[in-house]
Amino acid sequence: MTAISRTWDQLTLPGKFLAVVVPLLLFLTAGGVITILLFGGIVWQAILDHLEIVRLLVAALALVLIFIPFAFVIIYMELKVIARMNLRIGPDRVGPWGTLMSLVPGLKVLTKEDFIPTRADPLVFTWAPVVVFATSVMSALVLPFAPGLYGQDLNIGLLYFFAVGGMAVVGLLMGGWASFNKYSLLGGLRSAAQIVSYEIPLTLSVVGLIILAGTMSLNQIVEQQSGWFTSWYVFRQPLAFVIFFIAATAEANRTPFDLTEADSEIVAGFATEYSGMRFGFFFFAEYVNVFIVSALTTVLFLGGWNAPIDLPHVAIALDPGAYGLGLLFFVLLVPVIGTLVLAAPVYLLRSQTRWWVALIIGFVLFNVVAAGLTFLWAYVSFDFVAGLVWLLGKAFALVFVFVWMRGTLPRVRIDQLMGFAWKWLLPAALLNLFVTAAAVIAVDALKGTPL
Amino acid sequence: MSLVPGLGIVRGMSLTLRRFFEPKATVHYPEVKADVAAKFRGRLQLLLDEHGALKCETCFQCAQACPIECIDMGGMDTKGRFHVHWGPPETYGERREESAIRRSGRTVPDPAFASFSPEDLSPLEDILDRCDHDPKRLLEILEATQAAYGFLPVAAIKTISQGTGAWYAMIYGTATYFGHLRFESPQAEAQVRAMAERRPSEASYLDRLGASLAGQSVAGESAGASAPGAAAAGSSRARATGARPTGPRPTRAAPARGARKGGTPGSRASES
Repeated sequence: MTAISRTWDQLTLPGKFLAVVVPLLLFLTAGGVITILLFGGIVWQAILDHLEIVRLLVAALALVLIFIPFAFVIIYMELKVIARMNLRIGPDRVGPWGTLMSLVPGLKVLTKEDFIPTRADPLVFTWAPVVVFATSVMSALVLPFAPGLYGQDLNIGLLYFFAVGGMAVVGLLMGGWASFNKYSLLGGLRSAAQIVSYEIPLTLSVVGLIILAGTMSLNQIVEQQSGWFTSWYVFRQPLAFVIFFIAATAEANRTPFDLTEADSEIVAGFATEYSGMRFGFFFFAEYVNVFIVSALTTVLFLGGWNAPIDLPHVAIALDPGAYGLGLLFFVLLVPVIGTLVLAAPVYLLRSQTRWWVALIIGFVLFNVVAAGLTFLWAYVSFDFVAGLVWLLGKAFALVFVFVWMRGTLPRVRIDQLMGFAWKWLLPAALLNLFVTAAAVIAVDALKGTPL
Repeated sequence: MSLVPGLGIVRGMSLTLRRFFEPKATVHYPEVKADVAAKFRGRLQLLLDEHGALKCETCFQCAQACPIECIDMGGMDTKGRFHVHWGPPETYGERREESAIRRSGRTVPDPAFASFSPEDLSPLEDILDRCDHDPKRLLEILEATQAAYGFLPVAAIKTISQGTGAWYAMIYGTATYFGHLRFESPQAEAQVRAMAERRPSEASYLDRLGASLAGQSVAGESAGASAPGAAAAGSSRARATGARPTGPRPTRAAPARGARKGGTPGSRASES
């Protein structure tokens, strides 16, 4: 025993690290190989047999994983954009340009005490944030991100989205009810009233679009908007777009309709008693909701993953086998030549530059250029990359509009909120529905096609 | 309310979007320092609250921080005598506490401020009404005000500023341009002039200073004899603050007479 401890003490810090990690990796690799050899075939067969279930699980997991960076990006965007609108700079200390700033509240929330109030209902209290977050992720399952890149293509996708998205109210009410705090309960009821009220114009505004599209599958709705941007539904249903956007703002609890949260007035309403990661889930779900609502608006009205202009389809035929041995030279020589070529002007034009500094700059520049070219190649070659670029671009532009609105508009009062929903949005949505239906009937009659 | 619904929202959004692209006001303080003059200490001014009372709480922090000792506290007592420090120094502490209470919003009866009678602004209101609250007739208003009060009180200038919409600084500049407009009553100005006459000339201070710097023994009997008022003032200040128990201070500027009349700007406190 003393020999082992003496040997251990003589190791340096990297040696100690490697002495633990390398055997562990070896053990895990060997175990994994043996497991795959023994059970791999059975598992693979099971996956092949139940491909739809596996696809659903993988999609849900991927959505959860992809929404974490999205939420961080939106939080960072909000900090930075609102700061710029207030003539401030915003976070710029944590990470380059403050990009890691949004991780800080996440880390803070993780280290907080996990607290359940006395006489609160622990089961309901614990599950409320889960319900809220899970509804966000589940409703995103039908969102088509790109051609072929979606969780499920339901023929009632839009209905599914609204049905599952409406379940978030249950989570809010659970949180308010289980907190054993009358103010939390009031906050929960308040947010339930708001969200239920705005569900109606939100859903009704889309009905006209469904009449035009003839389908509720989000994939088909996107495909109908392909081609030039004039075929987007925002130009055929402008009123519906406005109503949908306003109601979606209220659904996502964003300013000026963020009475649910109202952090400056009613200390987060239903979430008053929440702390630590439970509160973090509510917080997170809010930002995820912002993205989902933006993405859905994009899909329904702004053409989804379609480019705004009808780009000619250019497919670059890159067949690596056709280049033979030349490919090897290409892979070996191009980085070196590129680095040297990009380093040369830096070294020649600035006399103070050391040669190795110029080489480093050249290497970084080469990486930037290569990444850009690779991205361009992927955009041209793969439909889903192009679709993803357009959908995310449009969705984040809408997220910018949400943040912009938060930087501009004050919060409305609760009576103004409800009055606006019932007195203005609902009649406008009904008007839009009737006008659309009448127009469709009139056009059919003029064309002479039977109803 | 505009005729077009939602136009206000559009205007507000366009405003914030313009702000988004404008240069930012933030200064990265430890790395970047704002570009101000080396001697910049902010603007020196005695301020008044909305009732015309002095906001200064005689905490002496400004006098202590002043790098060239141009700030001091003082004023006229009820018998018209000038004191370098207002009131007995034993009450500074409790007066500071009282001023803290006053800032909290409650009224505090303070004997130290009993002589600061608020100005009666009703004649000024008549003047403004007669001149139609017109900033273009500023000189007429100022002359009428001086005729009514004998001089231009700060409260009156503030009221003129509020009534006509002209800036305080513009009115102040106009009033300082014309020699016949005063900011102090004639008695107060005469008092100050008498004080300045009783004070020894600057040359005698410089002589004493040069003599002490040259290491000679004090040759200042004549200077001290010629400056009884300054010696008294200097000793009272030394007693009050307990600092530097030397003889007369060199070139003390005229003290802040605004303490009596309420807030002439600090540039007056530094005139000699």
